[in-house]
Amino acid sequence: MAGRDNVTQAATAPCASGRWQGNGLSDMRRRMVDRVATGLCWAATVLVLLMLFSILFVLVRNGVGGLRWITFVHVTLPPGQGGGLANAIAGSLIQTGLAVLIGAPVGLLVGIYLAEFTATDGRFINMVRFISDLLLSAPSILVGLFIYMIVVVPTGHFSGIAGALALSMLVVPVVVRTTEDMLRLVPLSMREAAIALGAPRWRVILFVCLRAARDGVATGILLALARVSGETAPLLFTSLGNMNWSVSPAAPMASLPVTIYQYAGAAYEDWTALAWTGALLITAGILMINITVRLGLGRNRK
Amino acid sequence: MTVAEKQPVPAAISVRNLDFYYGANHALKNISIDFPQGQVTGMIGPSGCGKSTLLRVLNRMYDLYPGQRATGEVIFDGCNILGPKVNLNVLRARVGMVFQKPTPFPMSIYDNIAFGVRLHERLDRAAMDARVEDVLRRVALWPEVRDRLHDSASALSGGQQQRLCIARTIATRPEVVLLDEPTSALDPVSTARIEELLDELKTDFTIAIVTHNLQQAARCADQVAFFYMGEVVEVDSADRMFTAPRENRTQDYITGRFG
Repeated sequence: MAGRDNVTQAATAPCASGRWQGNGLSDMRRRMVDRVATGLCWAATVLVLLMLFSILFVLVRNGVGGLRWITFVHVTLPPGQGGGLANAIAGSLIQTGLAVLIGAPVGLLVGIYLAEFTATDGRFINMVRFISDLLLSAPSILVGLFIYMIVVVPTGHFSGIAGALALSMLVVPVVVRTTEDMLRLVPLSMREAAIALGAPRWRVILFVCLRAARDGVATGILLALARVSGETAPLLFTSLGNMNWSVSPAAPMASLPVTIYQYAGAAYEDWTALAWTGALLITAGILMINITVRLGLGRNRK
Repeated sequence: MTVAEKQPVPAAISVRNLDFYYGANHALKNISIDFPQGQVTGMIGPSGCGKSTLLRVLNRMYDLYPGQRATGEVIFDGCNILGPKVNLNVLRARVGMVFQKPTPFPMSIYDNIAFGVRLHERLDRAAMDARVEDVLRRVALWPEVRDRLHDSASALSGGQQQRLCIARTIATRPEVVLLDEPTSALDPVSTARIEELLDELKTDFTIAIVTHNLQQAARCADQVAFFYMGEVVEVDSADRMFTAPRENRTQDYITGRFG
């Protein structure tokens, strides 16, 4: 009994003497630094969330009034005559859709090249990757000017397809990067296993690697779509904008960002109201794409 | 009974004077070894001694990597497979390989097996179904997966995945099956099942297995080769190798003095 008491006493003795004491000063300092750092992290987070929510709040407050049926079915009209955003919505859908249709396959192929053909000349691969990354951070207005020079000037007029081409140049580097990154996550052993069955390279890439990276690659394409759906600058010199209903890619084409750009600075109240609504629509669209991506990734993690 | 006293078994693969280089690193030094038909050849030796390297020469896996090269001869079915005119896809279908870690493809159990078969044969639906069932039965996986053939293969346990990979390899009907430490990532029960499996498979295939587990080599192999520093020190029947090795280095290794 006495022995057990001793044991109990020993185990519950306060651990505050000898080496348990530690270095009092540095311990206090460490706690303080920890508090300050945690506090700064909180403050920064709150600041960012505050900005985000204030943007969303203003967008909804000013834009929600324009979410009427007529906004979706009527084209833009001169000031004071009402009208909607139908031409801009259709133009944005067509141009971003075409941009992804053109840009995603190119980006996919380049991404596959960078990730899978590593046995070829490393300098060339690095150069391609470097250029693609440059394009990723290139000012989008330069991309617009470039397409203006090589498409708009030779054809003699602005067009929806020129706008789509400009946007597609922004789609390519995003898709290249995500495709390469996702393919690099596919373990080498899986490629070897497929090759060890006697599979030719293209089948290994197409049916094993791309399949393993499928969700990530699809995410990259959706993110590229989200990225270009809000772009204004590349469209200014390419598709220009169009006050009338037009879905012909050969003609100048309206788009939400350009319409916002034109309307937001106007002196007419109904135009600024429509600009807010357009901004709300783009934001909601991008939010929806991002939610789709999230849901897709969530399903993948299971 | 030693190898010499048995009926001579023809070699499925004969390696002659093989040298192998990883860039400037001389990894295999003048290797000569036969892989007798229908037998299990166990390859043992300390890490980095060249066992896996030799395995990767036998199906020309090293070809994927620039800077790796082999000289010498590897005779398989009357042909030097190191030669330039070898159709690698056909070679790899005839000399299959199972890896250390299970590598199920991101597709269904059924498609994992059909993937390899479709590369080399055109089978109608019924014949493919029969092939899939046949190989899954052979690896004793059929009762466990018969109701979920079209579920993802990644949902299987590690041991099941490895048996699936073996099934996938034998589904292309190779003559030789190479196994690179196939049980090192598995638990003892799964390991025992794979060892039993090897015993059955050798009736149809010539098997070469790299293992760090000496008991495994003693249990499964007919012939054992001891590798050390890129050389084949000794090749003999499993019985003799583990009871009366001729070389001191072999003796030291199997008694645990190094490696």
